[in-house]
Amino acid sequence: MKLLTCPLNGPRNIDEFQYLGPLRPELSKDAPDAAWAVHLFRAENRPGPMVEWWRHTPSNTVFLAERHTVTDTVLRTWLPEPDA
Amino acid sequence: MMRLPAPFGTRIDRARPVTFRFEGRAVQGFAGETIASALAAQGQMMLSRSFKYHRPRGAFGLAGAEANTLVQVGAEPNVQADLRNVAEGLEVSAQNVAGSLAFDRTAAIGLFARFLPVGFYYRTFMGPSRQAWLRFWEPRIRALAGLGRVDPAARFPEGEKGHLHCDLLVVGAGPAGLAAAELAARGGADVVLCDVGPEPGGTMCHTPKGAAGPPEGLRVMTGATCTGWFADNWLSVVQGGMLWRVRAGQVILAVGGIEQPAVFRNNDLPGILSAGAVQRLIRLYGVMPGRRAVVLAGTPEGLDAAEALTAAAIPVAAIVLPRPLPGHEARIAALSAEVISGRIDEADGRGRVARVRVGNRWISCDILAVAVGQAPAWQLPCQAGATLGHDTAAGRFTLRLDRPGVHLAGTVNGYAGHAAAIADGRRAGQAALRALGLPAADEPAAIETAPKDPDAALAFWHQPLAPDPRGKDFVDFDEDLQVADLVNAVAEGYRELELVKRFSTVGMGPSQGRHSALATARIVAEATAREVAEVGVATARPPAMPEALGTLAGHGHTAERRTALHARHLALGADMRPVGAWWRPYLYGAGDRAARIAEEVAAVRGGVGLLDVSTLGKLEVRGPDAGEFLDRLYTMAHGTQPVGRVRYCLMLNEMGAVVDDGVALRLADDRFYVTSTTGAVARVYADMALWNAQWGLRVDVANLTGAFAGLNITGPRARAVLAALPGDIDFSGDAFPYLSGRCGVVAGVPVRAMRIGFTGELSYELHCPASLAPALWDAVMAAGEVRPYGLEASRILRLEKGHILIGQDTDALSSPDELGMAWAVSSKKPFFVGKRSVEMRRRLGVARRLVPLAFPAGTRGLGESCLVLADGVPAGHLTSVALSPTLGHPIALAWVPAGLAMPGTRVTVRARDGAVVTGDVAGHAFYDAGNTRQEVQK
Amino acid sequence: MVFRLLKYGLSRQYPVTGDLPPTPELRAHYDVVIVGGGGHGLACAHHLAKYHGIRSVAVLEKGWLAGGNTARNTTTIRSNYMTMQSIAFYREAVALYGSMSEELDFNVMFSQRGQLTLAHSEATLRAFHLRAETGRHMGIGIEVIGPDEVRARVPELHMDQGGGLEILGGLWHPDGGTARHDAVAWGYAREASRRGVEIHQRTAVTGFAVQGGRVTAVNTDRGTIGAGAVLIACGGMNYDMALRAGVELPIRCFPLQAMVTEPVKPWLHTLVSSVSLHTYLVQSSRGEVVIGGGSDPYQLYSTRSTLDLKEHLAEGAVHLFPFLRGLKVLRQWAGITDMTPDYSPIMGASPLENLWLDCGWGTWGFKATPVAGKRMAECIATGKVPDILAPFALSRFERFDLVNEMGATAASH
Repeated sequence: MKLLTCPLNGPRNIDEFQYLGPLRPELSKDAPDAAWAVHLFRAENRPGPMVEWWRHTPSNTVFLAERHTVTDTVLRTWLPEPDA
Repeated sequence: MMRLPAPFGTRIDRARPVTFRFEGRAVQGFAGETIASALAAQGQMMLSRSFKYHRPRGAFGLAGAEANTLVQVGAEPNVQADLRNVAEGLEVSAQNVAGSLAFDRTAAIGLFARFLPVGFYYRTFMGPSRQAWLRFWEPRIRALAGLGRVDPAARFPEGEKGHLHCDLLVVGAGPAGLAAAELAARGGADVVLCDVGPEPGGTMCHTPKGAAGPPEGLRVMTGATCTGWFADNWLSVVQGGMLWRVRAGQVILAVGGIEQPAVFRNNDLPGILSAGAVQRLIRLYGVMPGRRAVVLAGTPEGLDAAEALTAAAIPVAAIVLPRPLPGHEARIAALSAEVISGRIDEADGRGRVARVRVGNRWISCDILAVAVGQAPAWQLPCQAGATLGHDTAAGRFTLRLDRPGVHLAGTVNGYAGHAAAIADGRRAGQAALRALGLPAADEPAAIETAPKDPDAALAFWHQPLAPDPRGKDFVDFDEDLQVADLVNAVAEGYRELELVKRFSTVGMGPSQGRHSALATARIVAEATAREVAEVGVATARPPAMPEALGTLAGHGHTAERRTALHARHLALGADMRPVGAWWRPYLYGAGDRAARIAEEVAAVRGGVGLLDVSTLGKLEVRGPDAGEFLDRLYTMAHGTQPVGRVRYCLMLNEMGAVVDDGVALRLADDRFYVTSTTGAVARVYADMALWNAQWGLRVDVANLTGAFAGLNITGPRARAVLAALPGDIDFSGDAFPYLSGRCGVVAGVPVRAMRIGFTGELSYELHCPASLAPALWDAVMAAGEVRPYGLEASRILRLEKGHILIGQDTDALSSPDELGMAWAVSSKKPFFVGKRSVEMRRRLGVARRLVPLAFPAGTRGLGESCLVLADGVPAGHLTSVALSPTLGHPIALAWVPAGLAMPGTRVTVRARDGAVVTGDVAGHAFYDAGNTRQEVQK
Repeated sequence: MVFRLLKYGLSRQYPVTGDLPPTPELRAHYDVVIVGGGGHGLACAHHLAKYHGIRSVAVLEKGWLAGGNTARNTTTIRSNYMTMQSIAFYREAVALYGSMSEELDFNVMFSQRGQLTLAHSEATLRAFHLRAETGRHMGIGIEVIGPDEVRARVPELHMDQGGGLEILGGLWHPDGGTARHDAVAWGYAREASRRGVEIHQRTAVTGFAVQGGRVTAVNTDRGTIGAGAVLIACGGMNYDMALRAGVELPIRCFPLQAMVTEPVKPWLHTLVSSVSLHTYLVQSSRGEVVIGGGSDPYQLYSTRSTLDLKEHLAEGAVHLFPFLRGLKVLRQWAGITDMTPDYSPIMGASPLENLWLDCGWGTWGFKATPVAGKRMAECIATGKVPDILAPFALSRFERFDLVNEMGATAASH
């Protein structure tokens, strides 16, 4: 099956991973309700490279991947820089 | 008998005769041969009846590429007789016949063939009434459809699965594959070579082109069919009942070609065989295909067949040459057969070919050997991304594959000649070594990058494909489609290849276009004035060869999870039921279920009960930011939660929907022990990791769900029982108040003890390492008065207190306001997941509420999901409902419109039997609304 | 009816009916441009032409006719949904399927053999009861049945008594069925083109010209055309296409895979579906058993197949019917599903005045073909969204007024 490279564990079969969805931009706290509702349901769904969250289940490693959503090519994977 | 003496029959073991039955008659064959060859040795060429017209059919290619050879073997349908070996006692019969293979009554359909054009079923069977299709026509058509038969009583062994890793997988052990594999192995690659045949060699096995010794230094899998290529060089190889999943660094597809049929009137008669099939019968199985042959030598392979026939002392009545074969004159002369220029225009015979016509001339024969050329076996290459082209001059398909890591070699790569195929194999092997970063096995100069292939010019004969006015010139044997059918499909407007396919069903049968795709593309190109390459073929999809569901399923074990107390429950006669993957006790003991459940409830309310809660999620959250972390994830305030206190925790998602609940015990400033529902913990654990990847708080989460067990001891006698056990925890009311937690030892077992609510009685939950749980359970039970209780009682106890069950009383969108849980939502915290949505949804207005409903004693027919009606229209439903043994009447939680949510409101419900009943909205809890019993100090 | 076939046997030349006309030249302007030549777009074109007298219609299909999800679905038709709004909608679709062959004079082989969904857990049974109660109120055929009746309906099922996947009951929906998906498209295409609708295959829409809150032109790879109104109905590409008009849809695309076995004599006479196993099976009138399941786990615009999913489907099929171990898979394929947050479609108006949406069809599109076509034609012809479509408006998300067909668990994506 497809391989995905965990930044910590290296290439693993994709069934060791859980898809956590696209990286979504933040919305400002001052945005009105309608904008918040749209933001909640907004889809990141363009055909092309997309940055998304993945989790390697056995090691509980959460990381980011950039993957082309048409060719399914994984361009890179990396551990996130958190913004605490 | 049509058997040839040794040395013919390299695969059969004459010392081991095998007897099986075909159509009720005993047949004797030899170990090592196929059902089809054993039958051919008896002169039985007819194996099946065609799908639509029930015409007699036999093998054409004898290579597992057609539906003509599908037979029923015992309980197994659609067995390829040309691939399945004989075995003692097999019961083989024809499929889809009314009567027998020899006398199939359904063949009468053939008389009406001209009334059944392509797609005829779309034009009719619609009337006279609307129900005509469903009630009359469809059952009849369904009865005619299908080939073999499944037997619901059949038992098949479970398939096995395995994994293989290698540097290089070579698919196909013909000349090119062997050359590639051996070269790569010599170069130091870890090579696996697989082939469908029982021995390596491919076409070399049945032609006198040169035998190969067994390849060395690599793993060889025989009887192994590579059925699929998937991303990152993950391939499926089926060997017997075993599914191998192969991860290969590099892949070489040396899968050869598929001999194509000649298209002419009655080209489907048994006895019309490909040149390869004739040679396989003679050389591999020692079978005389017939007694008098005609050879259609559109390509030199026809001469190979003629030579094999001659060697087997079968007279070749004529060699029909549609075109000259320069360079092969000597061979033709040596065959001493009459050479006729022309093509086969028609065949004739009843159940088997008896004569063929070239121009005006009929020639009698019982075998026609056909050589018109091969199509490259495009299935696997196209799965791997190869594009199919067409060399118009040569009239054949070509393949081009640009995917790194996958290579084509040999015939599939367009090389017709034996030496050329070998050279191309070596090229591919060298390319694979280079890609693997291994040193070249041979000098680059010794590798031909574009091998010369003098045989290529004659490899394919561009046979004419005009429709015969009298028809029966089959393009697709599986679907009984003639040339005119495809032409007519195009005429109807189905001009795209995929539309021709779907409208006519060409290529949709078991052979998936192996024998029809090339001719179809040419016919459609001609009919639509386009190039063949532009028309193309239908998308190649896995599997490249049919795969049994049993092989794909393997053992298919369902995982079961058991708590550490499983044996205790069984010993107590528990009714164990699956809850997800876990097994949990629903109730204990035999007898009237309702009565026993009521007893368990009463035991808890009046005495003390014991519940195994080990399946609960348990998460340890630790680190300097643990409090902040929980503050952000849950709705209540945990950052300020004192050490030793237990607090209810409610988790929302970003939409403000409740997704989980539990309790959190603060063990230290930087340590919390948090419970989660059985069903949600895996998701919660993942979400915690995702959130913190974004927040970067100094916190770590451990999932202890399986490591720890949990016992819930609840009832007015709970404290007395626990206090009587040896240990260092003071269970007295002052020392251990409601919603606090203590760590210590009870009956020799280290525990985390929490005093909580939920059941409405004095309640303690003890969590301990799972392996020690049985000892703790035994210690508690030894008190003598403790009553184990199960999930059914537990639900009633909780419902009597109005507690929600996540996933039952909540749905994908239910917010705390809708659930009446605004009390659990902090208004002070600046942020928690879902806060924004909760506030927004509050502003939009809360339209529905989950409320407790009390029904009059004796109300019948209430069940979960019964509808709440407002003015006769569904406006909600019951989510939980039970007859409360404590209160003596039915109680429920239900969704109602917000306007009906005030306590005291009368609500209408439709019972399961349709009767309309009413209940009243109650206050928060039905039982002990003041919570005095669960919060009791003394 | 069968007498129709006589002409085929009695004529010298094959008497061509002419189902699909060849793609004509593009004209400069159409009253209605439908982006997407699948079942929905063709059904809409048919309704516009036949019932609203609107014939200046172009259906633009980037590939071969109905080669997207219409060609790839597993042909399930049903109305056993959870919300009243959905039931009302799909109920109309079932009724329209019932008369479709007549309406189109093309046998779409609507086979109303019912759907049996299996419950292996109490939670599922609870959900079934909700569907049954609501469905009965809405007048559709639906009921919860116990294990004995499940066994009576499908005796070949492995009930797994005492096991982890014991069948506790089922949801029996006699209104459910299947139809020949390609025939649906061809039937609509033929009727529509007879009335002057133009069907343009191999014509890709590359973008839109938008001015003053309206679409003023449609750009294609064969030229630019003017349009009075535009409908977006292109399945997996709906998100991308709407974006080209500046409209963002809350849609995420996931592959949905399926597979089919070799044909065998009829043994399965209804559609059987298991929630817990994520597997469903139906036997077509060709005798092949179609096996489908759940969507792929991550977003992807691809119709590639995987071995893992095929293995999962096989496990599910073999668990329910162990004797199928000997049956062989012939082919696997996939479609691209445009999934919405509430598993309900997005139909009706868009922020642009003359741009209409028939999107968000996820895994529930084929069954809605006739009602979507009929009702979207109404939208376009009258300029107003009919009541039956109102709940599915795009604006429902910003009002947090979802039509929740997700079930007890939040959407996992």
